[in-house]
Amino acid sequence: MLHMRIAKRQEPLGLGGSCLVLVLALALSLALSGFLLFLGGTPPVKGLSTLFHGAFGSRWAFEDSVLKAIPIFLCSLGVAIAFRLKVWNIGAEGQFALGAVGATWVALSYPDWPAYFLLPAMIAMAAAAGGFWGLIPAFLRQKLRTNEIIVTLMMNYVAILFLDYLVYGVWKDPTSFGFPMTPAFSDNAVVGKIGSSSINWGIFHCLGLGFLMWGFLKFTRLGFELKAAGDNVAAARYAGIPYDRLVMLVMVMSGALAGWAGFLEASATVNRLQPSIMVGYGYTAIVVAWLARLNPLSIGIASILLAGLRVGVENLQLDLQVPAAFGGILEGLILLTVLAGGLFTHYKIERKRIR
Amino acid sequence: MGYGIAVCNPTCRAGEGLIMSTAVPPLIRLAGISKSFGDVHANRDVSLDIEKGKILALLGENGAGKSTLMSILAGQLQPDKGSIFFEGKQVVLDTTEKAIGCGIGMVYQHFKLVQGLTVTENVFLGARGGFWLNWSKMQAEVKELAAQYGMRIDPAARISDLSMGERQQVEILKLLHRESTVLIFDEPTAVLTPKEADNLFLTMHEMVKRGKGIVFISHKLEEVMAIANNIAILRRGAVVDTVATKDVASTAELAERMVGREVLLQVDRIPMEPRQVVLKVAQLSDELLQNVDLELRQGEILGLVGVAGNGQKNLVETICGLKKPKKDCIKILGAEWKKFFSSMEWDNVLSYIPEDRQGLATCQGLDLLDNFLLTTRQGFTRGPWLYREQAREKADYLVEEFDIRPPNLKAFAWQLSGGNLQKMVLAREFYRKPRLIVAEQPTQGLDIAATEDIWNLLLNAREIAGILLVTGDLAEALALSDRIGVMFNGRLIDCFDSDDEEKIAQIPQMMAGLKEQASGAGR
Repeated sequence: MLHMRIAKRQEPLGLGGSCLVLVLALALSLALSGFLLFLGGTPPVKGLSTLFHGAFGSRWAFEDSVLKAIPIFLCSLGVAIAFRLKVWNIGAEGQFALGAVGATWVALSYPDWPAYFLLPAMIAMAAAAGGFWGLIPAFLRQKLRTNEIIVTLMMNYVAILFLDYLVYGVWKDPTSFGFPMTPAFSDNAVVGKIGSSSINWGIFHCLGLGFLMWGFLKFTRLGFELKAAGDNVAAARYAGIPYDRLVMLVMVMSGALAGWAGFLEASATVNRLQPSIMVGYGYTAIVVAWLARLNPLSIGIASILLAGLRVGVENLQLDLQVPAAFGGILEGLILLTVLAGGLFTHYKIERKRIR
Repeated sequence: MGYGIAVCNPTCRAGEGLIMSTAVPPLIRLAGISKSFGDVHANRDVSLDIEKGKILALLGENGAGKSTLMSILAGQLQPDKGSIFFEGKQVVLDTTEKAIGCGIGMVYQHFKLVQGLTVTENVFLGARGGFWLNWSKMQAEVKELAAQYGMRIDPAARISDLSMGERQQVEILKLLHRESTVLIFDEPTAVLTPKEADNLFLTMHEMVKRGKGIVFISHKLEEVMAIANNIAILRRGAVVDTVATKDVASTAELAERMVGREVLLQVDRIPMEPRQVVLKVAQLSDELLQNVDLELRQGEILGLVGVAGNGQKNLVETICGLKKPKKDCIKILGAEWKKFFSSMEWDNVLSYIPEDRQGLATCQGLDLLDNFLLTTRQGFTRGPWLYREQAREKADYLVEEFDIRPPNLKAFAWQLSGGNLQKMVLAREFYRKPRLIVAEQPTQGLDIAATEDIWNLLLNAREIAGILLVTGDLAEALALSDRIGVMFNGRLIDCFDSDDEEKIAQIPQMMAGLKEQASGAGR
């Protein structure tokens, strides 16, 4: 018998302690995944270093990681703000899809508009479409008491199938030899790359939006109301905070950010709309948001890490024939160990008094 | 064979259970139990006997310490001082399993049943036995057990299809099947129809006849009078009175014993000249309230007394904007309810000091500064921006002035004791310079010094405000109020000046529903 019990800490764990817990949690998840590699017949140390090299070891690899981090960051920023209010939006994937559709519609309809006009219009349309897709579950939740987890999840499939319907049907490029894709966007509708790198200007969108979000949460009254309502809905209503409206606002913001990510992916990465843009960034964003404890700066760091994991696993697959599913396993392990480590922020484990 | 018979055999012959000799130790004896949470004394030196074949009623207002006491009995909390004896032997109930082992069973207000399972499955949940289940035998067993105690229930019915009364029967069956000897009922009639309540009482009588000991927690005076053998009255965590029901003349006497009038604390109350009307309620009715009329002026305190659950909560929530009235019948500071709450300023208006400090008045996971900002945020807002540093200065000053400990704005609300948290809420609410204050049990659970501070704060606040004081403590109402209103069964029975000795003497009768004001009468 283990005579241990969990006791609440009087003071939450400080910064140093939290960092230590985080490092230990990451080390544990790496050790566990190393063990998995070992079981599969791959030398663990070599496997993990191949993974790291594949993600950040070369300029090409690093740029690819950053490129994938862009949509993950924006989606994650969006879900994090909903999570702060304890609204469980797992619909970033669908909001992302609809954002891409919205941006594409503008790009295909008005290809000749000048870039300084066309790009903002595409962003506005993407954000509006994504935001609308977020508003529906919020409205249903507040008016009809539906469960937002189920509604947002189901709406993901609707959005993705709608995207498929468009690219297989009305928007299909007649010159694509039957591949499901729209015609390429005009140059005016493309967010370009920075210099000779493969990273696009979307990285600055991320920096700007991340900074705005940080300021919004920290310095505005609405940000404070969000924090209070996220902690205690009854107290928020008591204090006259319009909770229903707050939920809808947050879901619109959440959807708009995911939609923006969809715009960047369509415009900057593939220059058109095609089903291959749906690779689960919206779900990875949920993992990122929790790893980062919903903090915008940490979301930036966690996005690059998990994007790196996606890129690195490709390398692992090529060099050491490790199955691609290993990436998903590692992602899950990291999330589990870091979340479990979060227990130590407010609790400690002590020896039980034996009577 | 049913379990029930085996358990009852020794005691149920010829009603022997009802005849107690002093030589037989009580089933459970609590001796000098004390329990504090920070500086709040939930229980002070409580001694009680739960005897075989008797119903002990535990009577007390919300926050009088009933729940804490029961949690201690159920093994969920450990007392700071005192001991518990089971059939004369001292026991330490540090786990719920041990409490169950001593035959203690709780019927909670909120049932702990698995909705999707049947009655039999719920009754047998957690029971040990062989690998194979014999459904027909189990069902027969449940049916027999139910029949013994006069309950009519289909053992194969699903919980989700049952009425509240039937669900409660399942809870009771669970305990009986476990052979519990002490059954604790936490406000069991709150969810029942009158008919169902009568059935419950029959079942309770049957259990008593078979030698069980029962604790009946309630604040419904008539029920207590009707069913209990003994009544223990808890106030501010202590047992203030233990009487045999046969020695109580009426529910009014019980009400008087419950609210108490002894003066613990004296404050000087200099009457003020009442000025303009700040609150007017005209013929407010809802599912509980019936035609409530009241008027409150600046400069006066209206003390609203009554046993909890007689409509005070609905009235307060409606006045404070948390519950919408059916029709326009409330005017606050001259404005109709709807208009008032749609364009409410943060200061110089309305402050609500709720009874539920942890769940309603504060955000437990936020620090003191954020909790201070909760209702004062508009005062530190310009455009979209919140000026936290300005708020910090003000809040720092208030923490010092109100002597809130720890004096650190970075402390989280959950780290504060009940008394300090209440001071924090008061500091915040008074900072808003309200002209109408609704204070609900403002000194509940606080020590004498803190109570005195809060009373003085309320008295001084009359300068600018009218105060509606909702309290279960008659001494508090008498010490502070200029007028007193008594609520019973959703009606404001009477409202009178606090120097009207004749009426004051009748308060217990009014609280027990025996005295009707002519105009308010007629259901």
